[in-house]
Amino acid sequence: MGYLLLAPEMLLTVLGIVVLALGLILPQRGKKVTGAVAMIGTLGILVVVFWQFGYEAEFFQGVYGIDAYSHFFRVLFLSAALIIFAMAGNYLHLFSERQSEWYSLMLFATLGMIIMASSGDLITLYVGMELMTISFYILSAYLLDDGRSAEAGLKYLILGALSSAVMLFGISLIYASSGSTVFAVVYQTLQAQVVTQPVLIAGIILLIAGFAFKIALVPFHMWAPDIYQGAPTPVTAYLAVGSKAAAFAALLRILVTALPAAHYNWTMLLAILAAVTIITGNLIALAQRNVKRLLAYSSIAQAGYILVGLAASNVYGFKGVLFYAMLYVFSNIGAFAVATLVETQSGSSDFDAFSGLAKRAPMLAAIMTICMLSLAGIPPMAGFAGKFYLFSGAIQSGYLWLAFIGLIMSMVSVYYYLNVSRLMYIGKSSEQSVPVPAMARVALLVCLVGTLIIGIYPQPLSQFAEIAIQVLY
Amino acid sequence: MIGLNHYLILGTCLFGIGIYGVLSKRNAIAVLMSVELMLNAANINFVAVNHFIRPDQAIGQLFAIFVIVVAAAEVAVGLALILSIYRHASSTNLNDFNLMKW
Amino acid sequence: MSEHATIGVFLILTLVFPIAAMIAAWLFRAKPEPSEEKLLPYECGVDTQGPSQMRFKINYFIYALVFLAFDVETIFLYPWAAKFQSLGLFAFVEMIIFIAILVVGLWYAWKEGALKWY
Repeated sequence: MGYLLLAPEMLLTVLGIVVLALGLILPQRGKKVTGAVAMIGTLGILVVVFWQFGYEAEFFQGVYGIDAYSHFFRVLFLSAALIIFAMAGNYLHLFSERQSEWYSLMLFATLGMIIMASSGDLITLYVGMELMTISFYILSAYLLDDGRSAEAGLKYLILGALSSAVMLFGISLIYASSGSTVFAVVYQTLQAQVVTQPVLIAGIILLIAGFAFKIALVPFHMWAPDIYQGAPTPVTAYLAVGSKAAAFAALLRILVTALPAAHYNWTMLLAILAAVTIITGNLIALAQRNVKRLLAYSSIAQAGYILVGLAASNVYGFKGVLFYAMLYVFSNIGAFAVATLVETQSGSSDFDAFSGLAKRAPMLAAIMTICMLSLAGIPPMAGFAGKFYLFSGAIQSGYLWLAFIGLIMSMVSVYYYLNVSRLMYIGKSSEQSVPVPAMARVALLVCLVGTLIIGIYPQPLSQFAEIAIQVLY
Repeated sequence: MIGLNHYLILGTCLFGIGIYGVLSKRNAIAVLMSVELMLNAANINFVAVNHFIRPDQAIGQLFAIFVIVVAAAEVAVGLALILSIYRHASSTNLNDFNLMKW
Repeated sequence: MSEHATIGVFLILTLVFPIAAMIAAWLFRAKPEPSEEKLLPYECGVDTQGPSQMRFKINYFIYALVFLAFDVETIFLYPWAAKFQSLGLFAFVEMIIFIAILVVGLWYAWKEGALKWY
């Protein structure tokens, strides 16, 4: 296949540019067409990715590699982008004329994520990550007339730039101790060294701190709630699902292929971070009165659950990471899609706007409840299967206490998830119905079916994740 | 004789100054400048390590070029964002941006 | 050795030339007592009004941002140009694609009115 294996990346670049150019050429900034072009294009690229399954190649002496692991994350990011494009529909009227740029930036962010997941070299990883984050800086400030959105963009910019500077310094120290930035070469050099240099340890800690910022792990989570609340809701959904999964994908690949735990034991560090994150995220979420902010804290806690699998550092835990990242796409975007539709109709995402939703739009209320139960980890929803893999991985490598904390806190989380459901089913209702466009209906259905099917019949996804993980060893 | 350690110490000092600036400055533009200091600290490390440890491969210098370009993009977006928030708040002081709190 | 000598000659010339020019100007200039009018920042034209720390037009800012982005991108052209002979056709095509992407950016800035001066 050769360079043809890079076709999805190239097509995504071309698609982003074409969408941008269409906005310049067509009347009304191509408001009517760009959405359809972006969606059809993304779907086409997804088909190309499926068609490439099973092929593997390394490019430029290991700098970039396409393998089952990259295929897994390509599918994840592209389907997340597709679902968000479909559900965003009506919300985009808030952007008036500037829709083609929005689609274009979302596509470039997707490209950045894909590059992060497939890079085998620290330079490529850094550039991919910055492509993703810089797109997100602009996207989160996209509601120019809303002061909160601009504030979210600036806060994200400052903390994001700080975190990438920290990570970059860590990378420079890893480069100093190994003399290379290619993962495989770093691994070989470090393997040959008898003593672990302090410089290397400092580098690894700074690198993990930088990633912790991106994933919003406690104590690096301060930015997340403000930005999730202020940013346009479809962007928040992509930020919560895509950028987190991309950071996990890159972190997992680095830790396994360049800096294995046998060399410098980072699992304890990750386990402590995971425990603190799960506890803090869930406890603060209990006090929230705004659905977007609630979902922000809940997604901090979810990142903590995923980190449990990384801390477990065995095949079972890693498989759980991939499995959970995929089901998180369906469950979390489903919840955000409902929030988007309600916000489009009422102009607010406070709890009051969701009061009595079951009478106004029973379908939306049902989907919101199912997605939230999945996030809480109630069987037979997908979240249960995911948490099962993650926690049993942790138990296998001896982190019984971590699995215990995860279980207790999952039970706590049921309270605030069901609190929203209670409000939707028992709360007082206004008369206005919530309009659901056809594309958003499709997106909601995909989220619902995805959440239920993965929960009831998890084997295919679990096998897919296992094949993807085997490549790294 | 000036060796690798001197450069690494210089880089670390610069990084520390940058972090201090980010944490202590209240003006958004000053904070962006401090972040630039941190990025350049990493650049010094890259170039120095390239020169002293692996002079045969130009990986470090290459990385420095990419960092410069990415930093420029970041600053361009950052200044534009500061401009857009200035229209709402008439201020570039980070303490004034508090529409959202937990 | 001769190369260093060339550099030395250049160094001396660069030092001597401006000093000689300034001495010559000092010798030949007219020497009246400078009047108050003569010492103003702008000798001819309208007198300055108000403080000098005023706000700039926003156009300068957008121009500067666009310039910053494109200016720094040219950094990639230098290593490519230095190694042009040995890199061959593949790198040439790559660079064409890179510049084409930049041109789309320029086109966008143009259409958005970032280059308009008013």
